[in-house]
Amino acid sequence: MQIQGYNMPDDLYYEENHFWVRPEDEILVMGMDDFAQTMAGEIVYVQLPEEGKKLKKGKRFAKIESGKWLGKVYAPVNGELVEVNEELETNPGLINDDCYGKGWMFKIKPDDMAELEDLIHGPEAIEKWLLADIERYAA
Amino acid sequence: MVKMKLYNLGKVPWYESQLIYHALAKLGQEALVLLSPSTPYVCIGFHQNPAQELDLEYCKANAIPVFRREVGGGAVYLDGDQLFFQLILRKDNPIVPKKRGVFYKKFLSPVINVYRRIGIHAEYRPINDVVVKKRKISGTGVGEIGDCIVFVGNVIRDFDYEMMERVLRVPDEKFRDKIKKSLIDNLTTIRHELGEKRAKQCDEKRLSQMLVEEFQKIIGPTEDMAMDDLLQNMVNDLKRIMLNDTWLHQKGKRKLGTEVKIRSGVKVLHRTHKAAGGLMRGDFEIRDGRFVNVSLSGDFFCFPSNGINRLEEMLEGCKTDMARRVIKEFYCKDDIETLGIGVEDWMHIFEVN
Repeated sequence: MQIQGYNMPDDLYYEENHFWVRPEDEILVMGMDDFAQTMAGEIVYVQLPEEGKKLKKGKRFAKIESGKWLGKVYAPVNGELVEVNEELETNPGLINDDCYGKGWMFKIKPDDMAELEDLIHGPEAIEKWLLADIERYAA
Repeated sequence: MVKMKLYNLGKVPWYESQLIYHALAKLGQEALVLLSPSTPYVCIGFHQNPAQELDLEYCKANAIPVFRREVGGGAVYLDGDQLFFQLILRKDNPIVPKKRGVFYKKFLSPVINVYRRIGIHAEYRPINDVVVKKRKISGTGVGEIGDCIVFVGNVIRDFDYEMMERVLRVPDEKFRDKIKKSLIDNLTTIRHELGEKRAKQCDEKRLSQMLVEEFQKIIGPTEDMAMDDLLQNMVNDLKRIMLNDTWLHQKGKRKLGTEVKIRSGVKVLHRTHKAAGGLMRGDFEIRDGRFVNVSLSGDFFCFPSNGINRLEEMLEGCKTDMARRVIKEFYCKDDIETLGIGVEDWMHIFEVN
């Protein structure tokens, strides 16, 4: 679904700092959403932590850099990091080119799949949240 | 109205010129900090590998410390001829724009105004540069530290070009000369712009006062502060962590060859690639999206022997995203033969992400 020019697929779950989450069987795939990658500009570095790292919901677990701006990646759920997108080490711009596809960032094994329900989901909720952030940050 | 804290500290030990803003951010305290290091050091960006970027042996032999900051950007030689400004703002402060370009434009305006007040016509250049006739005159970066956004940068009174290129790790002296030339072409200083006599009038105290006045136009009135125990203790805690080799040498970004960013849009590169037909080497610059000063060499076979000069000429001035097309054209023209080397091998040298 398009919201004021930002591509925000409505089947995904979103963390409030603009990271998307997609369930694939027992695993959650996550990445940066279109709004965040647009705000960030050209991404030049993604920190790829070791697989097996324990993640705490809402806490920073990696860093990401664009335009000499070193930002944070937040864990959307409690769980364990099971895979990182190695392609991003040499080509972090994949996040700009294809943030929901080749630019995926991490795969997480959640402690409790039910935590997904705490994330922003469904067309109405996504639109309301994004419009508020557009007004706050991008107007 | 709560006044923003102002730490106008003058000369401080080199490590405090980095640790104070990290400490304030971790304490969640908004502040404007102005200071300058009493001795020189090298500061690398968070994503960099010091061993890959710097001549660490030279730094050690010359007692030049190296620090990894929690802020973006690349390696830089810092000394007391540069005045640092560091603005620590809480992430939820409504004066903080989320879009990178908007943020930089807003918070670089005080710096630009200071330069203009002393007679230098500085301008904003996206995304985060302050330039005078295309030459950079302030380096800046941002880091999200704790619950804060930290904006750091410098006002450059004078710059030691020679030391800057000397501390970098480079493949050979030819590359070193290129870096120095590019630095001189693309980076200027107050001393250079105003001349020795007028530049001397712009001492640290005067520039600091002007920075305070200009930043106040955005952040409101400020309250003079001195380092208290809480801040000093946090600085001491961070000193133990951030001056430690484990912090300095943590894994950074893997790099293809050597690449030195001079300013936004200008990079000097050296890349090598081991192809089936032999070792290939490319030295070139990227200026505003185009290849410049392309020099190719290696131990591979090329017929005719001047074919490689032809490829250099074809790539000179070409847009970086046209590299593949130009290299394909090179092979289509005449009867070029490079045994064991094809388009994809050249792309290892010229691929720009």
